[in-house]
Amino acid sequence: MISTRNLKRRLPILPSFLMLALFMAGPIVWALYISLTNTSLTGTAAQDSQFIGLDNYLTMLGDPDFPNAVWLTVVFVVGSAIIGQNTLGLFLAIGFRSASKAIKKTTSALVMAAWMLPEIVVAFAAYVFFNTDGTLNQILLSLGVDPIAWLFEAPMLAIVLANIWRGTAFSLLVYMAALDDVPEEITEAARIDGASSSQHLFLVTLPIIKNSINTNLMLITLQTLSVFTLVYTMTRGGPSGKSTTLPVFAYDQAFRVADIGYGAAISVVMILIGVIFSVIYLRLLRSEGDKNE
Amino acid sequence: MNKTDRKVLKRNPKDRLAKYGVNASLVLVSLAFVTPLAWLVFASLDRNAGVSSVVPESLTLQNYEEIMRPDVALLPIWNSLLLSFGTAFLTIFISVLAAYPLSRYKMRFNQTYLYVILFSSSLPITAIMVPVYSLFVRLGQLDSMLAVILFMSASSLPFSIWLTKNFMDSVPVSLEEAAWVDGASTATTLRRIVVPLMTPGLSVVFIFVFIQAWGNFFVPFLLLFSKEKETAAVTIFRFFGQYGEIAYGELAAFSILYALPVVSLYFVMSRSLGGSFALAGAVKG
Amino acid sequence: MKSKKTILGASAVALLLVGAVSGCTASSEEATSVNSEAEQKTIKVSYLVNDGFKQLDDLFNKVKPEFEEKNPGVVVELDPITGTDSDYTTKLSLMHQDPSTQPDVFYQDSFLVRSDVAAGYLLNLDQYVSEWDEWDMFDEGAKGAGQDASGSVYAISMGTDSRGIYYNKPVLEEAGIDLPWQPENWDELMADVRQIKESTGEIAFNTYSGNGAGEGAVMQGFFMFLYGTGEDPLFDNASGKWVIGSQGFRDSLAAYETLFQEELAAPVEEAADGNMWQKVLGPWIKDGTVAATIDGSWVPRMWGSAGGDFEWPEYEDEIGVAYMPSQDGGSKVTLSGGWTLALGSETEHPEEAFAFLTEALNYENALKFYVDNAQIAVRSDVAQDEAYQSANKFVPFFTDLVSSTNFRPATEDYPRISIAVQQATDDIMFGNKTVEEAAAAYDQAVIDIVGEENVIRK
Repeated sequence: MISTRNLKRRLPILPSFLMLALFMAGPIVWALYISLTNTSLTGTAAQDSQFIGLDNYLTMLGDPDFPNAVWLTVVFVVGSAIIGQNTLGLFLAIGFRSASKAIKKTTSALVMAAWMLPEIVVAFAAYVFFNTDGTLNQILLSLGVDPIAWLFEAPMLAIVLANIWRGTAFSLLVYMAALDDVPEEITEAARIDGASSSQHLFLVTLPIIKNSINTNLMLITLQTLSVFTLVYTMTRGGPSGKSTTLPVFAYDQAFRVADIGYGAAISVVMILIGVIFSVIYLRLLRSEGDKNE
Repeated sequence: MNKTDRKVLKRNPKDRLAKYGVNASLVLVSLAFVTPLAWLVFASLDRNAGVSSVVPESLTLQNYEEIMRPDVALLPIWNSLLLSFGTAFLTIFISVLAAYPLSRYKMRFNQTYLYVILFSSSLPITAIMVPVYSLFVRLGQLDSMLAVILFMSASSLPFSIWLTKNFMDSVPVSLEEAAWVDGASTATTLRRIVVPLMTPGLSVVFIFVFIQAWGNFFVPFLLLFSKEKETAAVTIFRFFGQYGEIAYGELAAFSILYALPVVSLYFVMSRSLGGSFALAGAVKG
Repeated sequence: MKSKKTILGASAVALLLVGAVSGCTASSEEATSVNSEAEQKTIKVSYLVNDGFKQLDDLFNKVKPEFEEKNPGVVVELDPITGTDSDYTTKLSLMHQDPSTQPDVFYQDSFLVRSDVAAGYLLNLDQYVSEWDEWDMFDEGAKGAGQDASGSVYAISMGTDSRGIYYNKPVLEEAGIDLPWQPENWDELMADVRQIKESTGEIAFNTYSGNGAGEGAVMQGFFMFLYGTGEDPLFDNASGKWVIGSQGFRDSLAAYETLFQEELAAPVEEAADGNMWQKVLGPWIKDGTVAATIDGSWVPRMWGSAGGDFEWPEYEDEIGVAYMPSQDGGSKVTLSGGWTLALGSETEHPEEAFAFLTEALNYENALKFYVDNAQIAVRSDVAQDEAYQSANKFVPFFTDLVSSTNFRPATEDYPRISIAVQQATDDIMFGNKTVEEAAAAYDQAVIDIVGEENVIRK
């Protein structure tokens, strides 16, 4: 049924289609395939890998490090994105509405600055900040608090805080834009009605920007799920696996332990998680679109 | 008159108090956000910087001079430029091509393709790095800058096509139709009318892709091996991944040098974003 | 209609770009060799460099011009890779995946030779060594380090090593330990170490441990205990099977548990860092923060090298050495490893690459490397050289230890088994698992790696 004209019209899409097929769909299919083999970086399996069925997935089920990595990923996403960046971004955006202009400008510039920096620079600065002799401990010391080896004793906390530092700007931008759309009259009306500021927040502001909150939560969840550089360079997943999130776990198994097949199986799980969240995200966008029409 | 006056009087103390509270908490947040940054800036100007140093005794640009050598910072930064420009140009080129039919023709296929694109734009790239590495082995493309550029472009394409299509939607077809009547071809109108009209939008897409490629560490870390092809992010990692004797001052200077281009691009982008909104407004109006 | 053509043209260009990757496997290597002089042959030499190991970089920078002068038309491209041993291993195996990135000559730890051979990364050198008149100078152990199971040669040893205990004499004296110190079994060792701890309050006995330390955690660490618990504690040579469930393994883990729980060893925070050795051998053993440490025979290279990061001329007076006792006494425990040079299996210039290898390992250069890097000589002719024998005060001690040494199991599975052992020490060090749990997890890991049919319960 497709006419030549339609074919020709679609042709310019083809390069993008091929790129996506080769470099996005390709690796996903490839991951499914090699996760069923014992492909390795060393030993006999490196040149002659065998089909081993679901062995890698069975190994995963029996590997205590896997639930550990899943749990740490959840802690990372919930702690740094959903609680950290999201809440801080929202409160900053709300605060900006009544803050003095100079303070608003300075704060937003500083929050944005951390966001603009390349991830490796953020990781380096955070590594120094949380170092045993680093800035944070010096501040604590001057307040009379004993220094803590953050990266060693509380690596997840350090990483979560570093990621809040790095990513809050995104939520802030989303919420500043959303709040701009909240009509001034509603705010005024609520104030005259004598609503307290917390009532005002929960009863008036949040319901109005509900869609933005949903979208923001989905986007930052997806972004945070795939953070590798920050974690890997700050702690390399250590000590003793205490900050090994899924991306670091996959890297470690594939390249340090040299077990590409197992690493690919972990990748498949991560892709599945990504797919689930993407689908939810698309649904959200769709329903939002319907409402707008 | 009297009534409103009283109201203002009544509201003022409470409001002022709230405002003080808000301002104070924002100052606290600012302090928290600026501290790690401040170390970076100070350390870069301090020849004897360590993790515990704060304000240097004397400021010097010596760290910057030390790293401004081809084998230290210049070659890696050049490689990052190559990678980012290559990725951004290729992405834009393919995006414009793909966006045209998506924006101009009504085809059922379009809707599906757009959903696929939107869907893949939200997939976590780090999740596919293990298979990508393995695929590069199979294709014989390890340590190839061109292949890395192609991969990075592919991973930026979904978002970039999406944005480009939206920007293109706001360029009225009527302008093209007028040109068609004059005998211009689709390619001509695309090149002469559509693309120029969406330059602000395209520059946003360009900058966006560029920044992402510039800041990426994982992809070049895994897929490029030679020293001559090492990008700045990987060099910085190698510097401080060693733990041993880290030259903190020089590393901080390198970090700042490496961050400068993207920070300035963000400023350019915020300008042209304003510009493209203006364009959208003009078209609608 | 011109219009459509241009859009089609543009699409075609884009397609070509995509095709460049998917279709054409012409490597960048080939592209560059076309550009450069047609006759010029380039040999890429990859090796490890870090703050504590610059000796090989020195050697290769010396050999490169000498070799290039003798071999016109051949260019040596040095490719030093910075990082820890474990970073280096990963990077090397990533590079082996493709002929265009594989080095022609590279430095490789002997324990990885077998698995590299199995993976097809190494060039068979049988034909080359048979024509190399100096090959007979290498002792049998050294030859074995580079052979596969059938006896074919794949890598050439650059020297070997042995391991013992270095201690700070003044610190032990202060603690009331009789010098020279030589504990005769584990009980004596632990008693003395506790006594030192009482006295200094610092790190009484360092042994490497955990994932961060990589292969060091087993070689300068766990195996020094394990190999003192009986014969073939890791791999049963008679049956060719891996040992699981052994008492010796649990006893060694228990010794680790004691050392870390009683804080006789380094604080976990430090020990978890793969670069702790730089602190131990740099400031700590000098100032007594570390009283005694298990380490390799190469250590004096760091103290002895003038201008080196750990330069310490007084070490010959301040440092004493002891061998590691077996659990119940009666024998010396030590392990030997060593690094090799090998050729990439896909090298386009095997003749030239092997010529470079022999140049780097000739009498003069081998002597330089043995001395600079405090290696135990594997060339019998160089071993007689006065300069070698007087290279440092401890050469006789460590050379003598070689007679009672153990080698790691020469099988391709060893590297993965080693990672499982490292994991066990990691879990003990952090207190994540009890001795029984860590031993059970190790047993399971071994079964997963080699299969039920290749293990033996002891």
